[in-house]
Amino acid sequence: MNPTAALKPGLIGGTVVIYLAAIGMVERFQDRNVITGVVGLGVVLILLTIAIAAYTAARKGRTPMPTGALVGLVAGGMVALITLGFEGLINAGVDVRGMFVSITPGLLETLEFGLNPALGAIVMALAGGTTGLVAGGLVGLKDEHLRSSIVFAVSMTLLISLGEPILRVTLGNLGIPTNWLYELGGLTIAGTIITLLAGFGLRWWLMGRKEKRQEIAAHMPEDTRRTWGRASLIAAILALIALPWVVGPFVSDVLGTVGLYVLLGLGLNIVVGYAGLLDLGYVAFFAVGAYAAAIFTSPASFLVTEEGETFAAAGFTNIWFAFPFVVIIAVVIGAMIGAPVLRLRGDYLAIVTLGFGEIIRTLVLSDWLAPFLGGAQGLTRIPAAPPESFDLRNPQHIYYVILAFCFVAAYISYRLADSRVGRAWAAMREDEDVAEAMGISVVRYKLLAFAMGAGVGSLGGVFFAAKIGSIFPNSFGLQVSINVLAVIILGGIGSIPGVIVGAAALVGLPELLREFGEFRLLIYGAILIAIMIFRPEGLLPNKRRQRELHEGAGSAPVELPEGASPA
Amino acid sequence: MRNKTSLGKLVLLLVVFSLIVAACGSDSSDTTTAGGSDTTTAGGSGDASAVCDADPFGCVEVGSGEAITIGTLLVISGPNASLGQDSQNGVVMAADHLDGTFDGVNGELLGHPIAFNHQDDGCSAEGGQAGAQALAADPSTVGVIGTSCSSAALGVADTILSDKGIAIISPSNTGPALTTPEEHQPFYLRTAHNDKLQGAAVAKFAYNELGARTAATIHDGSPYADGLQAVFAETFVSLGGTITKQEAIQVQETDFTSVLTSIGADSPDVLYFPIFAAEGGLITQQARQTDGLADTNLIGSDGMLSADYVAAAGEAVEGVYLSGPDLSAFTGDQDFYEGEFKTAYQELWGGEPAAAFHAHSYDAANMLFDAIKAVAIDEGGTLYIPRTALKDALFATSGVQGITGTLNCNDLGDCQSTATIAVYQVVGGNYDTANPVYSEVASLDG
Amino acid sequence: MTAPAPAPTPTEQSSRRLRFERIPMRRIILIVLSLSIIYGVVAGSTATLRTGVFTAEDWQSLIINGLARGSVYALIAIGYTLVYGILFMINFAHGEVFMSGVYTAYFVAVAFAGNGFLNSNPLIAIAILLLVSMAVSVFVAVILERLAYRPLRGAPRLVPLITAIGASFFLQYTFRGLYGANVRAYPNIEILQGKWTIFGIQMLKTQAIVIVAAMLLWVLLYLFVARTKTGRSMRAVGEDREIASLMGINVDRTIVATFAIGGALAGAAGILYVFLFNQVIFTMGFLPGIKAFTAAVLGGIGSITGAALGGLLLGILEAVGPNLFLTGANVPSPNQLQPVIAFGILVLVLIFLPGGFVGASEEKRA
Repeated sequence: MNPTAALKPGLIGGTVVIYLAAIGMVERFQDRNVITGVVGLGVVLILLTIAIAAYTAARKGRTPMPTGALVGLVAGGMVALITLGFEGLINAGVDVRGMFVSITPGLLETLEFGLNPALGAIVMALAGGTTGLVAGGLVGLKDEHLRSSIVFAVSMTLLISLGEPILRVTLGNLGIPTNWLYELGGLTIAGTIITLLAGFGLRWWLMGRKEKRQEIAAHMPEDTRRTWGRASLIAAILALIALPWVVGPFVSDVLGTVGLYVLLGLGLNIVVGYAGLLDLGYVAFFAVGAYAAAIFTSPASFLVTEEGETFAAAGFTNIWFAFPFVVIIAVVIGAMIGAPVLRLRGDYLAIVTLGFGEIIRTLVLSDWLAPFLGGAQGLTRIPAAPPESFDLRNPQHIYYVILAFCFVAAYISYRLADSRVGRAWAAMREDEDVAEAMGISVVRYKLLAFAMGAGVGSLGGVFFAAKIGSIFPNSFGLQVSINVLAVIILGGIGSIPGVIVGAAALVGLPELLREFGEFRLLIYGAILIAIMIFRPEGLLPNKRRQRELHEGAGSAPVELPEGASPA
Repeated sequence: MRNKTSLGKLVLLLVVFSLIVAACGSDSSDTTTAGGSDTTTAGGSGDASAVCDADPFGCVEVGSGEAITIGTLLVISGPNASLGQDSQNGVVMAADHLDGTFDGVNGELLGHPIAFNHQDDGCSAEGGQAGAQALAADPSTVGVIGTSCSSAALGVADTILSDKGIAIISPSNTGPALTTPEEHQPFYLRTAHNDKLQGAAVAKFAYNELGARTAATIHDGSPYADGLQAVFAETFVSLGGTITKQEAIQVQETDFTSVLTSIGADSPDVLYFPIFAAEGGLITQQARQTDGLADTNLIGSDGMLSADYVAAAGEAVEGVYLSGPDLSAFTGDQDFYEGEFKTAYQELWGGEPAAAFHAHSYDAANMLFDAIKAVAIDEGGTLYIPRTALKDALFATSGVQGITGTLNCNDLGDCQSTATIAVYQVVGGNYDTANPVYSEVASLDG
Repeated sequence: MTAPAPAPTPTEQSSRRLRFERIPMRRIILIVLSLSIIYGVVAGSTATLRTGVFTAEDWQSLIINGLARGSVYALIAIGYTLVYGILFMINFAHGEVFMSGVYTAYFVAVAFAGNGFLNSNPLIAIAILLLVSMAVSVFVAVILERLAYRPLRGAPRLVPLITAIGASFFLQYTFRGLYGANVRAYPNIEILQGKWTIFGIQMLKTQAIVIVAAMLLWVLLYLFVARTKTGRSMRAVGEDREIASLMGINVDRTIVATFAIGGALAGAAGILYVFLFNQVIFTMGFLPGIKAFTAAVLGGIGSITGAALGGLLLGILEAVGPNLFLTGANVPSPNQLQPVIAFGILVLVLIFLPGGFVGASEEKRA
């Protein structure tokens, strides 16, 4: 019963809309159709902001239906008003384009829905009010089924529309016509209606079944449950195996990249997640793997003699023969880098590893080592590995290789976690001094973690080289280290399924918005911040870690060792 | 232990499955062929089904009323985005001009509209890979204009697209390696001038026109800059000059005093730094403050031939030489370029071109359109474009007047096998593309 | 000690045995590594000096140059160090705080240049630019603390680090969206052009101003932290947040003050930076940020004196190092290897002084 509750969310929502407009997101995203001919992604952004503001406002007061809708209306209306005020300022001739390059006539056109200012303002006010009304009203809706089904239907429609680049190709591959669903990058009107209805129906039906299912599950005998569990695991694996042929080469390529990050994430997870060593230079081992693989296999390598005699004499004609040696080299380099610096702790170790990453990147780029490593010109012509029918340059093939190695790495990680070594790492992570006092050779276990991480990272490098076929120094920047670290922390540090989810979210999803390259890192940054604030344990946390985290919350982190809380 | 055995089985299962799938999958190909009887030809001849069956990569089929899809694979994000955006503008303008006017609306080709699939090459190998895969996965992609950066093409996009039989024409790859017999991929062409031409032309200009006898070079670790400075140095030495130092910098750095001090110790007559706007601007400023470089001529190349560089260098830019394609010597259509084209560019994109490569991409797109006209077979409104024949038609391009000069594609895909390279000088805070201080016709053959 | 040593307790015994087990290998690697690096540095330097490629003036100007860029690093590094000293987190986004101020001030500078104010009243104009830059940086730093970091108090240390990395991207691309992706040149300020000769050493006016201004700011900050109430609160909160709050210190306000001071110094550093380099672009904060962070660790993170020393040392190393160490060894393109030298020295320093130059001992800070 308190409409002023709507003011704060409304104000924040309005600021967010102005922000989105001023950084150019609204105008650029408008190029992407959500429902072709009706609404573009730019307008959807504004409406979403309004809906969220209204929803928050209505929720705050826990207001029942009629007032909830009212509060939503006020909040939504406020966002719309602020937007209109902003629009009015630009229209009034306050020319800020010299400073804010994104405030353009095109932006105004979007904000006015392509109409004249007055008509546009009316539409904006109406759209804002309605969205607010509906979103606020939803909160007060008594019927859980109805509410959840509406929200689900709208989100599903939005996702299906955003997933157009991947879904259209995938459905086309399966021989399913998509003309009825998609048009010019967005949904058709008929497609929208069908999707909305289907989403609503699906959720409604599922919710009805949910209670029944829970009941069945509760009464299921242990054996049956286990069989079910096993069956679903096998089904999941079969699905993973069939995936590339279902989704086609482009999506397989994206999956391959996600797989590479899973592999790298699993490797770094050993170092950061298990042993608690903060490594900001993991790219070093990725680079070592890629370059060593290229040197062993490329005909452009310095190992090829003048007469064109390849290194074949030693048996290294292809990736398959080379990769065990590459891994050994990486493990040795990992140990060599690790040995002098492992006494350092926390942030000191972080900056030193970051330094090593930069050193390796600089060295592969340098003119000094160019005769061996190719310098700026990179190493090219990494040959296809046999057999010929299984060319690794084909994204559908390398997917399997990466998948297989991910399985191996995940299995090793899984076994390590509860092994003697894993427990030693856990002890070390919790308190290094105590661990040492308990007779754990801290340096040895740290070295082991470092070396294992290096080995897995180099594997990632090997298959990166095999996948791309040419490697250049600019692929091995600090960004890679940061990405991998973000992947494991987003997924839930120390958690193997978390790595997979993290990689899919951070590496896979941005591919959906390929054409908005300039906003990719902005969204990436926003996601990182949001997840860390609202779900610091990650998306799929390791159970023990989660417990530690919630116990530890509230106490000062000052004395805590890396990545852990007192347990 | 139970875990172990079940996982072992799974791994086995996985291996078996992947082998089966791989065996089944390896014979799939993306040929889209279709039969038909009444054959009317657009430019190509013969029975479409016979031609398509004979073509190892098949045909692209464009249904009646459907659009011909042209891919672009240019850098449209990151620090080099202005370069790629400029090229992309050129491609779009070529489609626009198919109807003879620049009106912001695409013209039609053989009665079909043109649709674009714009991808980002990210100026990196992995960006080129992802973008090329996206284009290769779309069976309607007829041809691709790209990439912007050599590292996205070399062994990456050129290979992926060649393996699929999709022609790729780069407007701005200048790296010599792309068109060497060892590296060249069968479906790769470019309308950008090979660095061998530009680097050599700059060296001749420095030696003959400026009378320089000593020179130093700086590159920024990009294949482009490294390639250019290497060709420059080689040519300069072969003319009888001395290279005092070949240095390199890191991108995104801002303080180049120590490099410049090191170069200044020899006081070379010329400093050649074919890099990009930001670092180029800083080097220009700092070189003016370095004692040993007081009388040294500064020369950059087309990576810096932009308003961005002139702005970044500030007042220090006065007198700097910049090399690039000779925009004034664009044979034949000079009036068209300076008049209609440039006016339309400013109207459509709201500003001066940020780089020189829009002209190359305009020519590349037109080359592709001409080749499509030459080989497409029209059967009752449906176009069949045989991929290999399209490539052959592109490689057969010869004596065609583009706005960057005469296009003559050689067997290795260099369509500017002869190019006019010019050097401009910044005077009064700007360079005048209509008035180069030096211009030479350079040829890859001699 | 004539009395026999008491029998070691079991723990001591095992730790002693462990020490015996693990030290030799590590020590050997360490010694070999450092000896080879030291040999390389000494041999390279003597070879370079023997060639006589560089004159004494060259070295002088390189050192001045190193001091100037080092001063900028030092000012940014103080921001890292202050936040670290109080929250024990690496504020990865501090480089972007630096960028935001000076990039915004650019538009003011252009306006001033347009109406001639910049060169008619240069001192007032610079003061205004400085104020604008500092204000914007303070604003961004405080907002950052409020929205991104405050909700994370008490979370494990990796969490704020990742948030800070996220914030770094977010801010970079926000400013790209707001101000565009192009590189922009600051207008020239005439009175800053040219050279001065001080103590017989020729240097650019800008370099001299930057060095002096940075030193002045450092002294002010030092006095602030040592003398004022807020400064004492900052130190108290860094020592023990809970006890500080029991002593009646407003912890939240102290933390905000810390971010604000760090932001103000970064904003000032931004203006000094454009005196030297004249250019702004939305990515300009990242590299100086990393370097300042390195400098802070080099000096001993948490220490203000350490940040200053670390910054200056890093600046000089970058300016002098490649030419001095590598030219004589005939390494091609020595200046390209500048990160190798900077980080190589960092590793070497940390191996022997694990807490940096001025830092507390590693054990305590870990």
